Amino acid sequence: MAMNEHEDVVANRDAPVDASRRRILAGLLTAYTASLVPWALALPAPQADRGAFTALSAILVGQQVLDAAQTARLYDALVADDARFPADVQALLAFVNQRQVDPLQLQNVLDAEHSPLASLPRKIATAWYLGVVGSGETARCVAYETALDAVAVADVLKPPTYAYGSYGSWANKPV
Amino acid sequence: MSGQLSADIVVIGSGIVGSLAARRLALRGASVLILEAGPRLDRGRVVAAFRNSPFKGSWMAPYPPSPWAPHPIYVPRDNGYLKQAGPYPYPAEYIRAVGGTTWHWAAQAWRLVPNDVRIKSLYGVGVDWPLSYEELDPWYQEAEELIGVAGADDTGSPRKQPFPMEPVAEPWSMRRFRERLAPAYPVVANTVARNSRSYGGRPACVGNNSCQPICPVNAQYTGETAVAAAEASGVRLVPNAVVYRIEHDAKGRIAAVHYFDPDKGSHRVTGKTFILAANGIESPKLLLLSASDKYPNGLANSSGMVGRNLMDHPSTSLTFYADEELWLGRGPQSPSSINTLRDGAFRSRHAPYRLDFTNISQVLNVTNDLIKEGVYGAEFEKQLRWRAARQVNVKNVLEVLPDPDNRITLSSEKDAMGIPKPEAHYSIGEYTRRGADVSRADFARIAELMGGTGLRYSADGQFANNQHITGTMSMGNAPSSSVVDAFGRTHDHENLFICSTGVMPTAATMNSTLTAIALALRTAGHILPQQTTTQTDLADDRREARLS
Repeated sequence: MAMNEHEDVVANRDAPVDASRRRILAGLLTAYTASLVPWALALPAPQADRGAFTALSAILVGQQVLDAAQTARLYDALVADDARFPADVQALLAFVNQRQVDPLQLQNVLDAEHSPLASLPRKIATAWYLGVVGSGETARCVAYETALDAVAVADVLKPPTYAYGSYGSWANKPV
Repeated sequence: MSGQLSADIVVIGSGIVGSLAARRLALRGASVLILEAGPRLDRGRVVAAFRNSPFKGSWMAPYPPSPWAPHPIYVPRDNGYLKQAGPYPYPAEYIRAVGGTTWHWAAQAWRLVPNDVRIKSLYGVGVDWPLSYEELDPWYQEAEELIGVAGADDTGSPRKQPFPMEPVAEPWSMRRFRERLAPAYPVVANTVARNSRSYGGRPACVGNNSCQPICPVNAQYTGETAVAAAEASGVRLVPNAVVYRIEHDAKGRIAAVHYFDPDKGSHRVTGKTFILAANGIESPKLLLLSASDKYPNGLANSSGMVGRNLMDHPSTSLTFYADEELWLGRGPQSPSSINTLRDGAFRSRHAPYRLDFTNISQVLNVTNDLIKEGVYGAEFEKQLRWRAARQVNVKNVLEVLPDPDNRITLSSEKDAMGIPKPEAHYSIGEYTRRGADVSRADFARIAELMGGTGLRYSADGQFANNQHITGTMSMGNAPSSSVVDAFGRTHDHENLFICSTGVMPTAATMNSTLTAIALALRTAGHILPQQTTTQTDLADDRREARLS
C-alpha cells in the first residue's frame, strides 16, 4: 500500500482521538460495520455526510486506509455529479448497518430487491478503482496514478504511460 | 484568399506515408508543400490528455477532432462522422492531425510474405499485385532504415539486408508463451518500429505500455517524427488546410488543389505534381468530391474503383486465465505473434491469419469486469491481482478479400465545413469467416498449452476492427479495374500520384503501414528518379528520418 503525506493513517485503534469527531463517525456505524472498518471510529469526520462516504467507501473497497485528500476529492466530484449523492450514501450505509450485508453480497441483495440504491456501489467503486466520476459525456477523471486499481498492483506494474524501467527490465520474471 | 501557394510537388496529408515521400522528394531538390487538414499536436499534451481521460480504454480519447477536420469518434458516443451504411459496421479510427494516425499505432512494421502478392495466381482468390515481393524488398529496406525497425528473421518475410535493429527485448509473459507453445507454435518477436537501442535521435523503449494511444518517450516511430524529418529536409507544411477539391485542366492534368482554412477562407495551391496521401478513407472521399463535368464520377475513377474494395483486418479472439502469473503490461503492448498461418495451400479455401498476443496491462479490463460483477470488499483487490496476473488474450488477424461492394462513398450528410462525410459500406465475407472458424482450434490449443481456465471466446460473428484501411484506391496494371499503376500514378491523371495503404490491392495478414511507406518511397523514386549517384545523395536517402 502506497503511503503519502495526505494519508490519514489511523491503524492503531488505541490512538487518542477527538471525542466529538469520534462520536460523529461512531454514530454512523453499528457494531457490524464497525467490525468491517474498525479504524473508521478514529477518523476525523467534519460532517456526517462526508463521514458516511468515508465509511461506505471503506466497506466497498475493503481498505483499512484511505487517502484523506483523495476521499475528499472523490466525494466532491460525486456530489457535483449528483446532488442526491449524500442522501443516497447515508441511506445505503444505513441499509448495510441494519441488514448486516456482506460486501460481497451487497450488489445481489440490492438488485434482487430492485433497490433505488442499486447503482450506488458501482458509482463509488468506479470512483475509487478507476478514478472516474460520472458517465457518458459528463464523465471525468479525478484520479489516475492513485486510483486503487493502480495502487493494488503497484508492486508489479506501472500505470500505462509511466516507464516500467530501463530497457529490457521487463524480461525478468515479475516479482 | 491568398492563392499564392505553389510548389513543384504538393502532398495532401502529413501522415507517416505522405511525409516520408515528401522528405525523399525534397532531398532530391524539389520544392515540396504538404497540406494537412488537422492541427499540430504536442506529445506532452497528448500524454496528459490520456492520463486525464475518463475513457482510458478509448485510444481516440486523447485526440479530439478539430471542428474543421473531424475524424470518427465512438466513445462516449458516435460523433456520426463516418456514416455506416452496413450491413456490417466498419468503425474505422484515424487521426486528422499533423503526423496522422501513427500517433497511436502499435508500431507494427510488417512486410508482406512473398505469396501475398500472387494470391490470384496461386490460390485463385483475390487479385495479384502488379509487382513482386522482390521488387519491394529494397524499398522495404529503405523504409525500415528510415523509421528504425527492430525484428526477427523467422517471420516468413525474406530479406536481403539485416534489420536495422535487434528485436525488442522479450517480455516475461511472451517468453512463457514461446516456451510453452513450442513446438506446436513458434512464437516470435513482432517486427516493430520500436527502438531496441537509441536510433534516429530517439531512445530505446522503457516499457511505458501505452504504445497505443501514445508513446511518451518517442521510442516508437510516428508520423510526428516523419513530419519533423520532412521539414528538416526543406518541406513546407501548412496545417489546418482542409483540401476539399482537386482541380484538373482541359487535358486532365491536375492544375491545383483548393483548401479551406478553419474560417472557411478558400485557398488555391498550384503545383507540377500532386500526391494524395490523406489515408484510405479521406483520400477516396476527396477524389469523389472532385467530380467535374469532364469526370462526373470523380477524379481517377474511370474504372469506377475509387472507394471500392475496402479492406481491413477483422479479428476474433480468446481471453483466458493462464495457470501461472504472467502480468501482462510489462514492456511494449504488442511484442510477439505466431506467423506460420499467414500462407499455405489453405488460402484457396479460407483466410490466412497471424495470431497475435497482447501484452497490454489487463488491470483496466479486469477492474471494469469486477465492477460490473459487483464484487466489493477485500475480495476486489484479491481478485484484481489474481486476474491481472493471469489474464491473457490471443487474437487472429484475418485476411479480407477485395470486394467492390465494400466501399467508401460520399454521405448526404455534411460536416461543419459543408463537406460531405464519408460513408462506409462493409460486410465480412465467407472466406474471412471460415478463417475465423478454423482459428478457433488454434485458440483452444493455445489455451490448453497454457493451462487455460475461464475461456472467453469473442461472440460468434463479432469481429473487432484493426484500423488497417486498405484497397480503396487499388494499384493494378489494368486501368479498367484499378485506380493507380504499380508506381502509384493514377491511370487517369498523369501528374496525380497516391501514397496510401489504400493502394494495396489485397490486405494480407499484416499491419499495412510499412508496405504503404515502401510503396510511397518507390513512388517518390519514380517521380524523381535519382539524377546523380553521389555518395552524399545516397547517404541522404538512407539516413535515418530523425528528429531535427
